[in-house]
Amino acid sequence: MKHPDRRSITAALAALAIGALGLVAPAMAEDYPTRPITMLVGYNAGGQTDLVARAAAKVLSDDLGQPVNVVNKPGAGGGVAARELTQAAPDGYTIMFHANSVVNQDPFLMKRITFTPEDFEWAGFITVYQAGLITQKDAPFDDLAGFVAWAKENPGFNYATLSPGARMIMQEIAKKEGLDANYMPVKGGGEMINAILGKQAIMAMSGGIHAKYPDDIKTLAVLTTFRQPSWPEVKSVDEYGYALAMDGRAGLMLPKGAPTEIVQRLSEALSKAETDATFAQVTGAANIPIMYLDAPAAKAEMERTYQEYGDIFRNAGIEPQ
Amino acid sequence: MHALLNGFADVLTLYTLAWIGVGVTLGYVLGVLPGLGKATGVAVAIPLTFYLQPVAAIALLIGIAKGSAAGSAVSAILLNTPGEPSSAPTALDGYPMARQGKAQKALKMGLFASVIGDFLSTLLLICLAAPMARYALLIGPVELCAILVFSMTFIGGLSGKSLIKGLIAGAFGVFFATVGLETETFIPRMTFGLLELDDGLPLVPIAIGMLAVAEMIVQAGNMRQLDRETEEIIDGTRPEDRVVLWSDWKRCFAPILRGTLIGSAVGILPGLGASVGSFLSYGATRRASDRPEEFGTGRIEGVAAAESADNAVVPASFVPLFALGIPGSVIAAILIAAFVLHGLTPGPRMFQEQPDLVAAVYAAMLCASVVLLLIGYTGQRIFAQVARVPVRLIIPVVLFLCCVGAWMETGSVFSIYIMLAFTVLGFLAKKLDFSFVTFLIGFVIGPSVELSFRQSLQILDHDWTRMTEHPIALVFIALTVAVLVVLARGRTGGGAVGAVRDTGTTITKGRTS
Repeated sequence: MKHPDRRSITAALAALAIGALGLVAPAMAEDYPTRPITMLVGYNAGGQTDLVARAAAKVLSDDLGQPVNVVNKPGAGGGVAARELTQAAPDGYTIMFHANSVVNQDPFLMKRITFTPEDFEWAGFITVYQAGLITQKDAPFDDLAGFVAWAKENPGFNYATLSPGARMIMQEIAKKEGLDANYMPVKGGGEMINAILGKQAIMAMSGGIHAKYPDDIKTLAVLTTFRQPSWPEVKSVDEYGYALAMDGRAGLMLPKGAPTEIVQRLSEALSKAETDATFAQVTGAANIPIMYLDAPAAKAEMERTYQEYGDIFRNAGIEPQ
Repeated sequence: MHALLNGFADVLTLYTLAWIGVGVTLGYVLGVLPGLGKATGVAVAIPLTFYLQPVAAIALLIGIAKGSAAGSAVSAILLNTPGEPSSAPTALDGYPMARQGKAQKALKMGLFASVIGDFLSTLLLICLAAPMARYALLIGPVELCAILVFSMTFIGGLSGKSLIKGLIAGAFGVFFATVGLETETFIPRMTFGLLELDDGLPLVPIAIGMLAVAEMIVQAGNMRQLDRETEEIIDGTRPEDRVVLWSDWKRCFAPILRGTLIGSAVGILPGLGASVGSFLSYGATRRASDRPEEFGTGRIEGVAAAESADNAVVPASFVPLFALGIPGSVIAAILIAAFVLHGLTPGPRMFQEQPDLVAAVYAAMLCASVVLLLIGYTGQRIFAQVARVPVRLIIPVVLFLCCVGAWMETGSVFSIYIMLAFTVLGFLAKKLDFSFVTFLIGFVIGPSVELSFRQSLQILDHDWTRMTEHPIALVFIALTVAVLVVLARGRTGGGAVGAVRDTGTTITKGRTS
């Protein structure tokens, strides 16, 4: 809590100094940024999103001409970092790179996360998560319909659950089709992959990490509203008639009240990542598709999905815990 | 073999060797600083390696991982503040040794044990990556659960004078490990509405609080006596306390080999990590010793056992990564991204598609071991001077480092509060003679046991007769029962003898456990 105080004192002193010189303090937003920017990431260092965030930080820093320092604040799927962002000064010097699920999914699952899209300014999204339902390459079915038919013959199958959202997806499919599923908990994407490769689970929801294992893992249905670039032939879960698709995107968010010019400036800087060679190398290595949305599009996307995804969780009877 | 020689030809260039040296040095320093570990170091360095050639880039990252695993022993021995949680058992005997004026001996043995564990484990990776990985897949959650339950019997061997107190401390460790989101239903347990606790209590602040801060408070209590001793250390340093004697080697030979084996096994099994490896190795060595009650008072075997296992975990965790594409540890998971970036996709096909690069990586790993020996040996001379500084100057510095270390991982003051809370627990544990080793083992293994047990329930479909499909698990359950029976008999039969021997042991500086 001391930092904003000190910062405001410094700002006040600076304003006094400028005033003493007989100058009118210029609009801060115009020469933004004049000092290093802190970029919060709500995951541990070394994770998939963290690596993308670091690559994005480099693009931003090249374009803005100021260092962009990545600070990891892990906890509650980004909830801890996002809460800190809401408490930061809305001056554009504290920004956050994160998955938008912290605002359009987590509040419907966790009682203590109460963010709405209105609590932040959205400067744009740059990548999407290729979430999907996956199984072993040699499984006796090739798509979600085939799996459902198989599961009716094989009650008590194991489904690996990485997150409450993953559990909800299978619960809804099982409810609709009358399947008998066992929910096997796994911690982290690596362990989820192990459970599939080691055949401890017949199916799992993956956030996109399975793209690294094209020889051993096949995708039965994608969990986004669109077909995914890595496997264009795989149908969306919505196309199978379940209405469960939710698009996860990663991008930049700012504290509420940050000046529009600054949000716009960051949005332009982020768009440079679309064509940046290093950024393409980092995302390409992990098969993370680049899909840029600018600031207005990101804001609209958040407002729409907050309603729609909220309905999905409410219809599934999920109570925030 | 021929390929490996070619690999050495690629690596033994000034360019690559220089980057290995940079990586090991960087890792060593990161390891010495509490709270900064290999995971952070590698993650931050990955973007820097974009500009390097693939072999140099991977060698740099592996150098960081290896260097920091060895460097963390330095602060554990000199300051009782483990640089990484996996070096916490090193502090148990390394720090008393330092207080006895044997800091250099402990540091050297720690480094030698690290390098030997690292080197042997790397050889294991090279020779056995493919065949061993096949066995790793046989170890599913059911087998893992049985193995972990078996390894918890080490708590019995570690609990010191009172089995009951050891078990109580272990149970407390498991209890604190249950804080956070429950893995199956994702309902928060004992988080009291604090978002920071959703992912559980963090290990680093707890280990720092219980080990280092509590120790500093105890030391502040008898500062005068310790200062007098420090002066004596300066005057009384005998040459044989500065070097590792042949008699020390003889005592440490078996613990190092055992530690390497345990560390390698833990590295190959996914999801356990270096902390589990070093604690298990320390526990096994203490139980195998003919004088287990002397551990914690400055036994060189304790340092050797913990450090060899700590370093053996890193290369071994690449076995499933290289052979199957499955990461065996956090560091391996982070390195996947780096490998892929530099054109090496971990998995069985990389041996056919990129044999040259694989051989070069192997060669780089072996070189990193040797470089680690050189850099560690040089660095220690500088670091070892710390043991001569008066305690009144050390305490504030260590407390500062502790706060930085606790704060570092999460970047939040909350972690410092956790550290302070566990300082109180650690202080009471010291004064009341409860073992915090068993506490930390319970805390580290507890979540893995719970998760693998819940997974096992689903895999077995809640039908215990299906256990017959898992013979490996049955073997370990039988072993667990056998060890418990032996332990119980040993306690009732030899209790009186043990008690007499305990009172005869002088425990230096009020250090127990």
